[in-house]
Amino acid sequence: MSFDVEELPEASDGPSLRERAKTPNGQLVIKVGVVVLVLTVLLLVFGIWWPLVSLSPSASDTQDEVKNTILVFSIAAAPVMALVWGIAYYSIRHWRVGATEEPPEDGPAIRDNTRLSLIWVVGSALLTAFLLVWGLSALTSTTTLPTDAKPLTINVVGQQWVWNFQYPEDGGITSSELIIPKDRPIIFNVTSVDVIHSFWIPEMGIKIDANPSVTTTTMTTPNKLGMFNVRCAELCGLNHAYMETTGNVLSSNDFDAWVTSKGGTVGVNVPLDINKVEASSSNG
Amino acid sequence: MADTLTVEKGTAHSGNPGGGIMRKLSMWTGLAVGILAAAIVYLICSSAWAANDQGQDQAVIAAEVAWVIGFLVGVGAFVAPFRWLLGKDQDHADEMFLAGKDQGIGRYFRFTTDHKVVGIQYLVLAMTTFGVGGLLAMMIRTELATPGEKVFGGQIYNSIVGVHGIIMIVSTIIMVVGPWGNFIMPIMIGARDMAFPRLNALSFWTLFPAVPVFLSIGVLGGIPTGWVAYAPLSDQAPPGMDAFAIAIILFVISSGIGAVNLIVTATTMRAHGMTWNRTPIFVLGVTATSVLGLIALPCFEVGMIYTLLDRSQQASFFVPDQGGSQWLYANLFWLMGHPEVYVILIPATAAILEMTPVFTRKPLYGARIAVMGIVALVALSVLVWAHHMFLSGWAPTLAGPFMLTTELISIPTGMIFLVLIGTIWRGKIWTRLPMLFIYGFLWNFMIGGITGIFLSDVPADNELHGALFVTAHFHYTLLGGAMIGGMAAIVYWFSKMTGRMFDERIGTWSFYTVMIGFNVTFMAMFYNGLAGMPRRVADYDPQYAVGNLISTVGAYTIGIGMILFLYATVSSWRNGPIASANPWHAKTLEWYVPSPPPLENFEHLPVVTGDAYGYGEPDNIHTTHPGVPAVTGVPALVEGDAS
Repeated sequence: MSFDVEELPEASDGPSLRERAKTPNGQLVIKVGVVVLVLTVLLLVFGIWWPLVSLSPSASDTQDEVKNTILVFSIAAAPVMALVWGIAYYSIRHWRVGATEEPPEDGPAIRDNTRLSLIWVVGSALLTAFLLVWGLSALTSTTTLPTDAKPLTINVVGQQWVWNFQYPEDGGITSSELIIPKDRPIIFNVTSVDVIHSFWIPEMGIKIDANPSVTTTTMTTPNKLGMFNVRCAELCGLNHAYMETTGNVLSSNDFDAWVTSKGGTVGVNVPLDINKVEASSSNG
Repeated sequence: MADTLTVEKGTAHSGNPGGGIMRKLSMWTGLAVGILAAAIVYLICSSAWAANDQGQDQAVIAAEVAWVIGFLVGVGAFVAPFRWLLGKDQDHADEMFLAGKDQGIGRYFRFTTDHKVVGIQYLVLAMTTFGVGGLLAMMIRTELATPGEKVFGGQIYNSIVGVHGIIMIVSTIIMVVGPWGNFIMPIMIGARDMAFPRLNALSFWTLFPAVPVFLSIGVLGGIPTGWVAYAPLSDQAPPGMDAFAIAIILFVISSGIGAVNLIVTATTMRAHGMTWNRTPIFVLGVTATSVLGLIALPCFEVGMIYTLLDRSQQASFFVPDQGGSQWLYANLFWLMGHPEVYVILIPATAAILEMTPVFTRKPLYGARIAVMGIVALVALSVLVWAHHMFLSGWAPTLAGPFMLTTELISIPTGMIFLVLIGTIWRGKIWTRLPMLFIYGFLWNFMIGGITGIFLSDVPADNELHGALFVTAHFHYTLLGGAMIGGMAAIVYWFSKMTGRMFDERIGTWSFYTVMIGFNVTFMAMFYNGLAGMPRRVADYDPQYAVGNLISTVGAYTIGIGMILFLYATVSSWRNGPIASANPWHAKTLEWYVPSPPPLENFEHLPVVTGDAYGYGEPDNIHTTHPGVPAVTGVPALVEGDAS
């Protein structure tokens, strides 16, 4: 096989290219616009339906906020995805040459379109600013205690591979199930006796790592009665997959009754130093 | 000159007494010396330190280090500096031998300095480690096909997850920069080799011994931590953790050596007339990546050195009950961890950007915007690490600022998309196989990017962090985006590297199989993640069973697609049709030399007079002096190797 230098492709000025180049941009923009619009609608439907069917059912104010955020982000994402995919789809639909052995003649030498690029960058910056403002306001509302109810503090202790819950404001009772009252802000002080775990209630949209020797805090207000799951969300060794327990949101009266049944007294503070918790004997 | 070399070859090296040793060294002597050194050191240390609390870890560390040093000595990495120390520098014949002249396939198993040999070595190594990582992925999906720990059980499963993670991270980091940064980039800028050819060989042969070290994790009790190796779980771990740390340290050293070499080559060795504005986007992407890797990866190295000291000397950097901080480790890790995903993504993206003008026959739209996007990605990516720690409890007041920096990344990412679709717009869409991969990249990377915005939001992260949503997201960016880009690069540059054309028929089958399997696998994971299924679990609640089964079926489909791709690669390499020098009629300099290029690439160095994207611009010519080497015809890389 002999080697020869490829000739640089000839400047292509065939009639078809001329015609294409003459295609009024306005007409093209409308055609692509229709594709993008249809795609936007499809993606909006998908982007709203998909989280609604898959997200854990909400049992707290926090999870309501999370759900709204995910939906808003999906809605904001739909036109962006539709724009890129719509243009890509229109291009391959209308300007496809096929997998020929030799390359097609050159296309139009479009190097740049400053106005278009500027619109694109400014548009994406504005969208980013919107997402940031939305995110910061959601962050503030999920990390601020409501003032209309007295919060309840619960200590959460992670240990390979079980969760333990202490109720220092209810006579210092402990439980391996997380029982909490409805409509009352709960502050979780979270720690671990061994490695890093992560305390997660999917139905309440809260998660915080349980670190050895440190206490971390998260909060939420349950707004629905019923059972929920408590999981570990940080790989913590052999039985990480089984480091889960159940919880239950009770009405205020039922919660008080439960505290009494566990031998505690509602409203009696038993100071527990969470940083001095001992490993419990039970092991999952 | 060729005659002189033939004469000198095999004769005693009169000019350099004793210099013949390097002609006897190869990968095989490296393996022999390395294994011997490891065995001796292990026997001595394990008995000497048997009484120590951490004696087993100490012995394992000593043995692994002995293996690495032994291997490097045995492969000949230190011959040249040692001779220099003795005042007996290499002569021209020695250098030509080191460059692999007239050695046939043997040069791929030696400490060979030719950048094209190093590129092929990286390609084969990356494909091999991808094979291992992919196999582990199939094992993960097999365990997760149905609820219950039925196949491997928790301990082995956790190790598989960790080793899959780290092997894939390392593979994807070297996937584009290793093969094409080394093989193609120097030719693309009109150079005869890298700036430091011996460092180039050293970079590869430092990485090579890391592979057995990675695999030794399996016999040393595994790692329970996943690839993040969080402390203090890493402190509890069996000696597999020591092997993990040593492999990482080796990898970072290797990539650092490689990165310096690439940066110096790209900045100092570009052809006459190749200003930065005329430098192909792939070269700029590889250079930017190397800078980023050089900044980011050492943080992981530091983390691993401290972890080893914790494990072997009770140094307690990261052990909280001894005064250490697990957050210190997490910070070091993510200081590497987030830039690292851009170390993976940018070269693959740059390769895609390099190909798009070729397959649309249009200039690269907004080349300056592409450069700005890449530079902004590099800059921002070192400022976002703590978004991985939003829910760690560390510095909650930093949640807002890191949410800002993270979301800002969507602007440069958007610029890359603008450049891509701007180039495609009104192009002549030439649907050869690389073009399909460009479309695959547009599809997958868009999904990966958009889902990343959900994760950048702290409240949404409350629900999604640590869940399968994250797993699906980063697989969309790293497998669906970067690796699709890497596969495109294989197809695109295959003819240049091997002298043969890639089998596009089987390649197309593979493309569709991988794309369908990939989207099925990870869409199902998005679903389960939103529904609250955590990552890295060996077992799960029955409510996630359907999604997991779908994921497993999808993963097997990816596996089949990848086997097809491997088959297409191997069969095309062995007996594909002979390629011309420029089958794509592309304009970058590598297409002006034969396929595969001869040693030292150019006889006369080319002069560059325009950029490489002058499609439809008859006046814009990339090179007027293509520097065609006197060696014409197709050198017998493949034929010679096959015989």
